[in-house]
Amino acid sequence: MAADPVIQLESVRKSYGEGAGKTQVLRGVSLSVPRGELIALVGQSGSGKSTLLNIVGGLDKAEGGTVRVLGLDYRAAREPELARLRNAKIGFVFQAFNLLDHLTCLGNVTLPASFARGAKDVDKRGMEALGRVGLGDYAARKPSELSGGQKQRVAIARALFNRPELLLCDEPTGNLDSATGHEVIEFFKELNQKDGVTLMIVTHERRMSTIAQRVITMRDGAIVEGDLAGDEHTGGPA
Amino acid sequence: MMPAGTLSTMVVGNTIRSPRHFVFSAIGVVIGIGAFVFFLAGVLKVQAVLFSVFPLEEVEVIAPHTSIAGKNLSKKLTQETLDQIKRRSEVKDALPRMTLQFPAVGFGKFEGQDIRFEVGGFTDGIPPSYVADDPKISDRFIDGDALGQIGPACEPAKGKAACPDRAWQYCDKVDKQCHNRIPVLISPTVLELYNTQVAQSHGLPHIGKMEQFVAERGRERMHFTIGLGDTMMAGSNVSVTAAHREVGGILIGISKKAKRVGLTVPIGYVERWNKEFVGEAASKEFSSIVVTLRDKDRLAPFTKWLQDEPKLKLEDSLGEQFGTVVFVITIVLLAISFVIVGISAINIAHNFFMQVTERRREIGVLRAVGASQRDVLLIVLGEAALIGLVSGIMGSVAAVLGSFVIDWASAAFVPDFPFKPSSWFDFQWWTFALAVGFSVLFCVVGGWLPARKAAQMEPAAALAQN
Repeated sequence: MAADPVIQLESVRKSYGEGAGKTQVLRGVSLSVPRGELIALVGQSGSGKSTLLNIVGGLDKAEGGTVRVLGLDYRAAREPELARLRNAKIGFVFQAFNLLDHLTCLGNVTLPASFARGAKDVDKRGMEALGRVGLGDYAARKPSELSGGQKQRVAIARALFNRPELLLCDEPTGNLDSATGHEVIEFFKELNQKDGVTLMIVTHERRMSTIAQRVITMRDGAIVEGDLAGDEHTGGPA
Repeated sequence: MMPAGTLSTMVVGNTIRSPRHFVFSAIGVVIGIGAFVFFLAGVLKVQAVLFSVFPLEEVEVIAPHTSIAGKNLSKKLTQETLDQIKRRSEVKDALPRMTLQFPAVGFGKFEGQDIRFEVGGFTDGIPPSYVADDPKISDRFIDGDALGQIGPACEPAKGKAACPDRAWQYCDKVDKQCHNRIPVLISPTVLELYNTQVAQSHGLPHIGKMEQFVAERGRERMHFTIGLGDTMMAGSNVSVTAAHREVGGILIGISKKAKRVGLTVPIGYVERWNKEFVGEAASKEFSSIVVTLRDKDRLAPFTKWLQDEPKLKLEDSLGEQFGTVVFVITIVLLAISFVIVGISAINIAHNFFMQVTERRREIGVLRAVGASQRDVLLIVLGEAALIGLVSGIMGSVAAVLGSFVIDWASAAFVPDFPFKPSSWFDFQWWTFALAVGFSVLFCVVGGWLPARKAAQMEPAAALAQN
């Protein structure tokens, strides 16, 4: 029997605005992502892919449908349960890095530990995460002293700090040059293949398609290609 | 929920990195809390001085003065009046005072100078039990003659050497027996008048602690003689029924229960002297009745009853009037302080709303890495509370510094007057606790709405801020 999917979406709907200005962003999206899969969400701007990613990460709320991630039904879950899930099992990587400028690299990486009870060896784990992205020597530096690629690597280290089961990335290479973007893509591939981390990556990057086990194309709030919800997926590292 | 230690670290870090925000938020609170502590300590001191002069739970009942053609027709205060007052539920205790109703003078030596002062009319008697709670004087404030402490026989010509206890006895010239000296009390008012009005103008020593003064100079320097039936007043129109005679007195101490301006002795002496020099009726008439109420709040109903039933009145209601004035001033000043702090809380709310807006992305990041709504609420409220805590402490320190300035100015520029305090402020530990507590409370109230706004922000929307 196949394991429960990491992400299970059924008829997810979302809109912004009210009345005449109301815009339907997601129109009944259904999707199933098994453990260990790396999927790429592609589509034009405004197609709803970032909104879908945010809903999967619990950063935004669906108006309708069912969202079940890592066994937690978002509709029934209380807000603190969602926060704990984000803290312990989900990592986020954003296009704008979203590092806190007043903290050092190590401070940024260990930030999730601030919201976890009984976190141990915080600095040691933070240094390990920084080392993994090749920035072990940058622990005491502030984000303002780093290049774009280095900032994104710090953001990835932060996302990996709690050894997440699911990594959600929104245009992670969008602000990087081609060479750095390639490094990041390779890192995600390694993360997926060696650690078995499930990745959902919103991207415009064509190269991402080459490492993704599935490419899902969205248009006007709906999945138009690669929607295999309900199908059997083995996924996992290639 | 995030651990308390981490929360504290994050709150302190966030506050330190925004000094401009801190100053803008704190300045009003510092001023308000400073004013609160300053005013509160000031009125506490004024109240303390006032209530030491006019104790509100202790009042003196007198008969309203009535006279026709120069004849005193005032109602007499008797044992029956005393019993009637004692039966009132508001009353804890009632004790009579009896004024010396005939002329008398006091004379002796003080600091090497002959002194004379009028005693008749300025002396009254109180029951020794009235001062039983004061161990400094209770042992000596007794009616030795009534207790039979008379003897041995003595030769008045030998002066102070005539009796075995030179300090406490005198030789009576009439019965040639040693008697205990009449113990005399004076009030703090008399001492204050002496220190501020008499001592300086007459080159006499300032008296600080009476016990120390007596210890330095010896008990015998407190002796004086009372000439019963004599007077220094020209035109005195009183004829006494007994021959003039002298008794020995000794000043034994200071008591708030002594006559405010005059001398106070055990009431038995006054009863016997009034009977001897004026007549039987004078020994049964009280000049006033000191009533101790169960608490200050009973004053109003007791005063009303007093006027309605026995047609008596309080000696004066200055204490009550001053108390009311001080109460009103206290309320006004504290209200001003609270208005300042209240406006500051609004200012804090405004500043925090701006902060929350500026920190949207940061809040979004915190939510993304696992902060719950409650965590964000606590972080913002913690920052507000920290501003309140620091502002409360700074305001308290400012108030104390301000009090130093006022006290220095008072000592340097304000001339001495009775009951002038060395400090105009009474800083109690609870004043500071209250101030810091209010400061934190107002800041937390001010930060509440912005904190809620921050907590309820959708993480995705917060992160979308560029």
